[in-house]
Amino acid sequence: MSEILLDVKDLVKHFPVQQGVLASRLGKKCRAVDGVSFSVRRGETLGLVGESGSGKSTAGRAIMRLIEPTSGSVTFEGIDVLKLRGKSLKDFRRNVQVIFQDPYASLNPRMTIGEIVTEPLKIHRIGTRSEQIKQAKELLEITGLNPEHINRYPHEFSGGQRQRIGIARALALRPKLIVADEPVSALDVSIQAQVLNLLGKLQDEFDLTYLFIAHDLSVVQHISDEIAVMYLGRIVEIADWNMLYKEPYHPYTQSLLSAVPIPDPKLQRTRERILLVGDPPSPIDPPTGCRFHTRCPIAQFPICADVEPELREVAPGHTAACHFAKPFPILIKDPEDAGE
Amino acid sequence: MADDKLLVVDNLTMYFHTRDGVVKAVDGVSYELNSGETLGVVGESGSGKSVTALTIMRLIPMPPGRVEGGDVLFRGESLLKMSDNEIRKIRGNRIAMVFQDPMTSLNPVYRIGRQIAEPLILHKGMSKRDAWARAVELLDLVGIPHPESRVKDYPHQFSGGMRQRVMIAMALANDPDILIADEPTTALDVTIQAQILELMEELQKRIGSAIILITHDLGVVADMADNVLVMYAGRPVEYGSVDQLFYRPLHPYTWGLMDSLPEYDVDEKSKLCPIKGQPPSLINVPSGCSFHPRCPFAQPVCSTDVPEYRIIEGGHGAACHFAGDPGFTRAEASPVPVPAAEEVAW
Repeated sequence: MSEILLDVKDLVKHFPVQQGVLASRLGKKCRAVDGVSFSVRRGETLGLVGESGSGKSTAGRAIMRLIEPTSGSVTFEGIDVLKLRGKSLKDFRRNVQVIFQDPYASLNPRMTIGEIVTEPLKIHRIGTRSEQIKQAKELLEITGLNPEHINRYPHEFSGGQRQRIGIARALALRPKLIVADEPVSALDVSIQAQVLNLLGKLQDEFDLTYLFIAHDLSVVQHISDEIAVMYLGRIVEIADWNMLYKEPYHPYTQSLLSAVPIPDPKLQRTRERILLVGDPPSPIDPPTGCRFHTRCPIAQFPICADVEPELREVAPGHTAACHFAKPFPILIKDPEDAGE
Repeated sequence: MADDKLLVVDNLTMYFHTRDGVVKAVDGVSYELNSGETLGVVGESGSGKSVTALTIMRLIPMPPGRVEGGDVLFRGESLLKMSDNEIRKIRGNRIAMVFQDPMTSLNPVYRIGRQIAEPLILHKGMSKRDAWARAVELLDLVGIPHPESRVKDYPHQFSGGMRQRVMIAMALANDPDILIADEPTTALDVTIQAQILELMEELQKRIGSAIILITHDLGVVADMADNVLVMYAGRPVEYGSVDQLFYRPLHPYTWGLMDSLPEYDVDEKSKLCPIKGQPPSLINVPSGCSFHPRCPFAQPVCSTDVPEYRIIEGGHGAACHFAGDPGFTRAEASPVPVPAAEEVAW
């Protein structure tokens, strides 16, 4: 196993709640990320999944210091990221790049794609103008775009092509870690598969490490080595990609996996769906004890409402934060076996 | 006999006439829908699946849209030939629609109750008081807690999943014969999606409506649909029962869609096999089979002749020159070798 590239401990990001005159004085805050710890090994991919409002994107942004975390520690190659200032922060950013979800909003419509892809090089003063352009052309080639289109504007490209431009921009500085925040969610399935293959190819070619944030479990499973599941600002389960799908231990992961419709009608008919009641609670006022207890099908009282479960090892390389964690197979391949 | 059919879409063709050219948004779509049936319509963005539904509902502004041919028969009556007054009696009453985005499809300045009551007052001639009481009942039916107080709330006070429940309550207010659901769960989280799909199935059983479910998610189709229509570039490319389509797909485009999906429950990761290239512009649809530039099995005939939609077995058909040929299946067909230089682009 390779060394740990990124190590996150007890990361917390609280946002002040601005609604209401007294709210901020009363100390009300949105606990978007509330004590998250994980690590990513060099050359591997950690998938961070969760529903909207689970804090997965906030966690990603806090790690890159696109927003300042409230507390916790982030260590990248042994350096404490949260203490970085000025030049050393800029150097860190050279090593950590981001790909955003929305290929329409994340590219400046007034810049040509050449300008977009060379901008990181300009900011970090790498190479001469002609070297930068040469570099940009190479990057376009690598990401499957036509280098002759370097003077075109983003609107001339389709969604999938724009996402490739975003990837080329992220690669420009030859980063070590790429935080990909829902990079394929806005794309059609056939295009999504193209971009996923591209990301896989680039990982091998450039020895990249990914923090892959997404809500689509099948996509995350495909690309990740390890998967962390978030619920209301907390990680509820971390496991190897194949373990998580075969034997999820946390009831939230189980219901999440069982809710994903599988493109196999016979299997879908026999499969049992664990339906959760209600909507996820607000992170402004998360439930006491285990945050999932209000929707949990196996919650027992009073323990689940009083005591917050710690992440503990439930199987080798598999941790879950549940008092009653036990394996429950969700995906049964053979419909004949599903009857029992 | 035709009168027995709930909905017959017969070779429906609708083009948009724009300054940039003619957009062939719906190009010869045909299908039948029976009571209680769920038809899944799948395809990528721009395949014409939503526009077909909007054309059926007469919700396309004409111009720029123009129906070029074909017809839509609802219980034997042509929806396309009806006057505006007649169609209004059917729309929102006999045929209702649920849209993808529950935020923009509710009016933010009216209370939820008023919005649900509106179709009841319009179509059923209910009094305001009765309609309001029925709105409370409907909210209860779609599983919204405390309906008596929630009915007085405004849309922004509801979460995404709850708003979609409200949309379904509105659509079902008059027990429609057909519910057209256009990506009803795409904007929702999976656990909420599961709740909404379950709700739609339950209500379908109770009311006996037919559902046209438009989606890009093959998983949702496998879960909900009885029959499936696959569309590409405004044309239907394959139609069949859900089992026929998933276990014996005929059209290379359908294979491509399935191969693009990551597989579940595997021990070894395999590379995805995406469809190369991207969907064509509907202004400039490729000649012959519109899928031929992206099809790994394309032969010279594919770029010259438009393939006819042919039934291969038991109602299962496809628009492909080679569909049903021995050996031309998802597992067995071998792609035409691509010159290496061409492959680099993708």
